[in-house]
Amino acid sequence: MDTTLSEEEVMVRETARKFLEARCPTKLVRAMEKDEKGYPPDLWREAAELGWQGLALPEQYGGSGLPMTYLGLVMHEVGRALTPLPMLSTVTAALTIAAHGDTALCQEVLPKVVSGETILTWAFTEQDPRFLPETVRMRAVADGDHFVLTGTKLFVENFVAADQCLVVCRTSDTGLSVFLVDCRSAGISHRDLVTLAKDRQSEVTFNAVRVPRGRLVGGLNEGAAIAEGLIDRATVLLCAQMLGATRKDMEMAVEWSKFRKAFGQPIGAFQSLQHMCADMLMWVDGGDLLTYEALWKMDQGLPASVEVSQAKAFCNEKCQAVVRGCQVIHGGIGFIMEFDLQLWYRRVCAWTTRFGTAYEHRARIARALLDHPGTVILGQPVPVVAEA
Amino acid sequence: MDFGYTPEQQALRREVRAFIAEHVTEDVLAERGSSESNTGRGEGGAMKRLYEKVYERGWLGITYPKEYGGQGGDRMTQYIVEEEFTRVDIPVGMGGSGAPAIMAAGTEEQKQYYIPGLIKREISFALGFTEPHAGADLASLQCRAVRDGDEYVINGQKMYTSSAHMATHIYLMARTNPNLPKHRGISIFLFPMDTPGITVRPLWTMQNDPTAPIGTTYGHQRTNETFFEDVRIPAASLLGKENGGWRVGAMGLNLDRVGASRYLISVRRDEDIVNFVKLNSFDGYAPAKDPAIRDKIAELWIEAQVCRLMTMRSMSIVEHGGNFTYEGSAEKTWAPEHGVRTTEAIAQMLGPYGQLLNGSPHAVESGIFAHNLQGAFQSGINHGSTQVMRDQICRRGLDMPRK
Ligand SMILES: Cc1cc2nc3c(=O)[nH]c(=O)nc-3n(C[C@H](O)[C@H](O)[C@H](O)COP(=O)(O)OP(=O)(O)OC[C@H]3O[C@@H](n4cnc5c(N)ncnc54)[C@H](O)[C@@H]3O)c2cc1C
Ligand SMILES: Cc1cc2nc3c(=O)[nH]c(=O)nc-3n(C[C@H](O)[C@H](O)[C@H](O)COP(=O)(O)OP(=O)(O)OC[C@H]3O[C@@H](n4cnc5c(N)ncnc54)[C@H](O)[C@@H]3O)c2cc1C
Repeated sequence: MDTTLSEEEVMVRETARKFLEARCPTKLVRAMEKDEKGYPPDLWREAAELGWQGLALPEQYGGSGLPMTYLGLVMHEVGRALTPLPMLSTVTAALTIAAHGDTALCQEVLPKVVSGETILTWAFTEQDPRFLPETVRMRAVADGDHFVLTGTKLFVENFVAADQCLVVCRTSDTGLSVFLVDCRSAGISHRDLVTLAKDRQSEVTFNAVRVPRGRLVGGLNEGAAIAEGLIDRATVLLCAQMLGATRKDMEMAVEWSKFRKAFGQPIGAFQSLQHMCADMLMWVDGGDLLTYEALWKMDQGLPASVEVSQAKAFCNEKCQAVVRGCQVIHGGIGFIMEFDLQLWYRRVCAWTTRFGTAYEHRARIARALLDHPGTVILGQPVPVVAEA
Repeated sequence: MDFGYTPEQQALRREVRAFIAEHVTEDVLAERGSSESNTGRGEGGAMKRLYEKVYERGWLGITYPKEYGGQGGDRMTQYIVEEEFTRVDIPVGMGGSGAPAIMAAGTEEQKQYYIPGLIKREISFALGFTEPHAGADLASLQCRAVRDGDEYVINGQKMYTSSAHMATHIYLMARTNPNLPKHRGISIFLFPMDTPGITVRPLWTMQNDPTAPIGTTYGHQRTNETFFEDVRIPAASLLGKENGGWRVGAMGLNLDRVGASRYLISVRRDEDIVNFVKLNSFDGYAPAKDPAIRDKIAELWIEAQVCRLMTMRSMSIVEHGGNFTYEGSAEKTWAPEHGVRTTEAIAQMLGPYGQLLNGSPHAVESGIFAHNLQGAFQSGINHGSTQVMRDQICRRGLDMPRK
């Protein structure tokens, strides 16, 4: 057991931080809020040169084969700088393809992800926002050597930037399947949502979209388990991203409290603000510890669903509380658009609403703790019980 | 003790509801949505006509004396009317108007001039308190007013003068004597916004793009910086005594704190989320059936009751002619923090729908819950932050030492 970073891990983090400090100023973040695609292609290429997209992908497809914890460290920095890149959706979809796609599909898609040529996303949620298999109504019906997809997906990240989208569809009354769909296929239309983060999310409608059988990722009707793995990876990496942003926000607020004066002293000298800041530090630290443990378990091939839910349930509420505290410490100026703080606040707020609410994640933990015979031991794996 | 409403008060409530059903028509709602404020001087005239009708009913300036255009009524009447109009987001109260301080400290001439205009919403004040280096510590303000014969000359800068671009007048706190201890060299001035030498610059907020829907907590799209350069005003613009402004201002703020406005922000949010959860489902998923969400809603509802009852307590104290020690501060801490807790809990209840802003496909109730998330915390910062309010609760309510 060692919760500190190794030299190599520190290097991964520092390299990413320095790169983004130089290449991702808030001016760029602001510009991309209004950009149609929401990301700058040259920065995406530079990220690929640093090996980010392929960091945790297998070496046989050009990736670096590094652990998820490393990817978590990079996503933490991506979040810290509010980097407007389609990283999260691309790496989660790519990891899912690497884990479940056949060799031909991996050969075709993954090297281009690694090189930065291909942007990916994924689509699970429909109208019912919960991450449960029964919420998927969109159908894929076999027709010769194709499947025909019909339905509407919501909250699809970076769809406007993506080339390919992993789509979770119903292929039988009880079975789901996952397809890799070309975003420009005939029959696809989309409407863009306006989110607190001002990033790119869309409602995507599939009207009898024909997808070749070879684009099936994993077995037919085996999609529920694949989707769960995908969502778990996305969720834990979102936690890392959210914690990076939240920690930076906290650092800015603490800095502010040192030089902003009221009643003849820095406001940071008032104990009520100090105690608030002490809580903030415990919360971001706690979130980090939960998140990296979950990532580490994934790397070990251990079940990590409960750990992912622990991290997300905690981050949803604590990151929200931290960024709210940062607004409070700043007083009126935090509300003003021209001042950068709001860029962090709005994104963290948006991220707390995605990939499962605190209620959902706590319910998942409670099922694992309570709906299983035997007693629990803190620090030992808890069995996960599927939704009844 | 009596926690009920009299038959007359219940009848009044019904009457106000009937009035709203009849007169708050589509054109009023449309105009309300398009005008940035509810000054009553809105573009289409529908809002202006509505205010005239509300005034004819005797529902504006209810607690003000008849000789100044008011009704000589009591606070509970005022409260009931205000509560009902809050549900359609039409302000009919005098909170934040400057009127309480003018009534308390103004000359006869000032009362005659300002109070009827404020009541009829023909006059409105921008509040010029905050400065770049004087926020929570308001008494350190530096904007200068220098006496010059029959005039004062104003120089300085104010921050976050929210309605300065729409207001007819400004209610300005300035330093008249820099040699006295900081609380004692301050005076208050009332003068028209079109006085030469005033420059107003916009400060756009998070709520500006997209525009927060009406009813949002701190939905201000815009506030301002206001600059004063050799602004000459008649000496009669002084409110109260020269160098006596702190007392007048503090009194005004305290009176502003009482009553409905804080709590009413919560009424809207608490009612809205309960009603939304009750009536809506997402493709068969009804959040109202989720035991965790039910528990949270019940918890927030209890908090809302405490908000309401603290407000009733403040009004009861004032009705008896008493003074607050800590009760106003308690109300001003509890209500904003409850508002934040509610707003953040709603975002978790709605999941990804909770992040959609006004105008987005699938936005819930025009995105008001997401916009509230951008503004709710602000109500704990303004008009005395919750940190400073807690200090006051300890000192005035519990007699705890300062150092
Ligand atoms: C069961 C027990 C075992 C202990 N064992 C040891 C031991 O082995 N070795 C040892 O050296 N000491 C020990 N202590 C002593 C302990 O460290 C002291 O109780 C502690 O430092 C507080 O000091 P105090 O009791 O004088 O309380 P005070 O210092 O008088 O504090 C009283 C209250 O005031 C608060 N307070 C004080 N200063 C501030 C401040 N600046 N801001 C906000 N609040 C403040 C405190 O938090 C506390 O709530 C023990 C105490 C207990 C109860
Ligand atoms: C939308 C909006 C509208 C506004 N409208 C108006 C208006 O119309 N007129 C007007 O005059 N002003 C207005 N304000 C200004 C508002 O009243 C100030 O923002 C508020 O008083 C806080 O001042 P500040 O922003 O300078 O923060 P600061 O005073 O710098 O405070 C920053 C933080 O320090 C904390 N702090 C300060 N002192 C202490 C202490 N003793 N103990 C513990 N913590 C402390 C505060 O609680 C706060 O969290 C508005 C502000 C906004 C955002």
